[in-house]
Amino acid sequence: MTNKRRDTAIKEAERMLADVPLEEEVVLVRIDMAGDELEPLLERGIVPGCKLCPVRHAPAGNPTVYSVDGALVALRRETASCLCVRSALEAAGVLDPN
Amino acid sequence: MSTGAGSAALEAVAASEGPKAGETRALPRVALVGPPNSGKSTLFNRLTGLRQRVANYPGVTVERKLGLASLATGPVEVVDLPGVHGLSPRSLDQMITRDVLLGKLDGSESPDAVILVLDATRLEAHLMLAEPVLGLGLPTLVVLTMADELERRDGALRASALSGELGVPIALVNARSDESLGPVRRFMEAVRAGGDEARSCPAGVLAALSSGTSAHGRPLPVVDLFAERRKRARKIGRSAGFQPPRQSRLTRRLDAVLLHRVWGLLAFLAVVVVVFQSIFAGAVPLMDGVEALVAGSGEYLAAVLPSGWFRSLLVDGVWAGVGSVVVFLPQILVLFFFIAVMEESGYMARAAVITDRLMHRVGLQGASFLPLLSAYACAIPAIMSARTVESERDRIATIFVAPFMTCSARLPVYALLIAAFVPEGPFLGPILGQRAAVLLGLYALGLVAAVGTAALLKSTILRGAPAPFVMELPPYRWPTVRSIATRLLGRTKVFLRRAGKIILSATVVLWVLTQVPRTPEGEAPATDDSAIGRIGQTIEPAIEPLGFDWRIGVGIVTSLAAREVIVGTLGTIYGVEDPDETTINLQDALRRDLDLGSAVALLVFFVFALQCMSTVAVMRRETGGWRWPALQFAYMLALAYAGAWTANAVL
Repeated sequence: MTNKRRDTAIKEAERMLADVPLEEEVVLVRIDMAGDELEPLLERGIVPGCKLCPVRHAPAGNPTVYSVDGALVALRRETASCLCVRSALEAAGVLDPN
Repeated sequence: MSTGAGSAALEAVAASEGPKAGETRALPRVALVGPPNSGKSTLFNRLTGLRQRVANYPGVTVERKLGLASLATGPVEVVDLPGVHGLSPRSLDQMITRDVLLGKLDGSESPDAVILVLDATRLEAHLMLAEPVLGLGLPTLVVLTMADELERRDGALRASALSGELGVPIALVNARSDESLGPVRRFMEAVRAGGDEARSCPAGVLAALSSGTSAHGRPLPVVDLFAERRKRARKIGRSAGFQPPRQSRLTRRLDAVLLHRVWGLLAFLAVVVVVFQSIFAGAVPLMDGVEALVAGSGEYLAAVLPSGWFRSLLVDGVWAGVGSVVVFLPQILVLFFFIAVMEESGYMARAAVITDRLMHRVGLQGASFLPLLSAYACAIPAIMSARTVESERDRIATIFVAPFMTCSARLPVYALLIAAFVPEGPFLGPILGQRAAVLLGLYALGLVAAVGTAALLKSTILRGAPAPFVMELPPYRWPTVRSIATRLLGRTKVFLRRAGKIILSATVVLWVLTQVPRTPEGEAPATDDSAIGRIGQTIEPAIEPLGFDWRIGVGIVTSLAAREVIVGTLGTIYGVEDPDETTINLQDALRRDLDLGSAVALLVFFVFALQCMSTVAVMRRETGGWRWPALQFAYMLALAYAGAWTANAVL
């Protein structure tokens, strides 16, 4: 029961990275993308569980610069729309088993 | 931070000296591996100085570069491999790196040791590369660069603990201190000395390095594989007391301006204008100096040598031909200077982010921006660095349009024609002169052709869904004088070697063709009657609609080998025609033979045509066949002919 309720809570809190406002830290939940296209993200440390934070938009509004593990990585809107995230604060609260 | 454990481990390696059985290779070889922006190329330059081979390719490391590091005990060969994040067969760069390390490339053996270069400020992410590299079982030294920066930005790391975790020696290297290279040199000395222990696999993590299978022996999906790897990297980092640095304040402040909606765009435009203005106006005094040097030495030779065919060959052929190309060295170096500064400071990646929207619209991706920008220097490294474009369709499209970008070999031709036909004077107030504006226009024309071609390709034969765009923005750093100087010296060597080989031989052959057949009196013929004149007159009907006479035609034919050869060719033809003048004035000669329409036609022809055999050869290698280079050559030639014809007809 508890598990199920927790799952629902996570589902509800899930958003796409592209919809996260600047300066809000989020945790990556999963990547909705095909295998081959994934690797460039994965090998740069963008893996489920990593923390992402939109820092600023490019002058043209797209792509957006994110901080990932202290590094800066630029992602286009359509890529960020494939990254499913949830708030870092919430993630800590919901997932912390203790 | 301490290098204690690193040195201890090094001594352990050094202690186990002994001749290596079956040693056949002349020199021990060490390979440098590391992610992009890890400081790998800088380390390579510092270890090898100017003793490098295949400096052929400017800009980013695109191929195996070989260099010699002199150590107290003798030289060691150092191989600089492309910057990679992993060893997956998905990308060409990664495959090349893996094949070199496994000794599968060119039938060469695997290196005797590996130096894995990781950025200390990004330790956990970069440790993900350590797994596959250490897994190869070669003797490895992990070099952590930017150690000083980590400390400055309040990060921390215990090198001794990390060395223990990884089971390999660690060396911390600072950008500006040569002493910090000591452990790296000692490692290479130990490799040079050989010994069984230097061969043994690093222990420690090796056992933990799974080859993509879970505990139950089932292959893991790629996401889990990387997530697991990331977890292990984090665990190793934690055990080594790694504390990530805070964000660089300088980087945050600079980005706030340089990526700003208004200031960022203005700064980008300012950079572009400054680069072009410097290439054209700033380099002039330097070029005048080189020109005076060439002319002076030519006059001196003409004065001391006895009159005869040898003097004619040397002064009218070699000096006029090679000299007229060498004059452009300062201009090319100014361009490379800016590319080097932009790359090393970190601005290049910002420029890619700023232009991505535009690139995306024409069907390319942000990753294509770096290759295309280096194509402004030379299409060859550009085509090779297109390997970093991870989608095959985008890679081919990038390769296909790269030769439209104005490479430095076009500069001598543009500069000559602009100087001859465009008067000096202000265009946009004091910022931009008329000549610089025309040059900018030619660059823009090439860019438009590239963009149009890319859009055409991506909507026809290379249609498909767009690939994801991931661009890392390294922190801003002051470029070091040393690394910029090394790059510029490397470029100078390549340019002079090119001038020495291709252009020298072309001008000598041309000079011979201007000297035969001899007149009945045994004298040199008038150029119209010479072999070259006859060849030129044969092809004249084909180029006449463009407004060119046979001299320009010969220049175009010889420039198929390399664009700048036309300048040397014309230098030789006109030089032989006016043997009385010790210094020929190419500009005056051109003004005599071309009117405005045909001069513009010639410029347009050079904007579009693929006159570079090296580019064709590299393209064949990178696309795996003649299909793409043949298509491209025909396409660009047709465009050039049509463009030049239009220009000549309209003006």
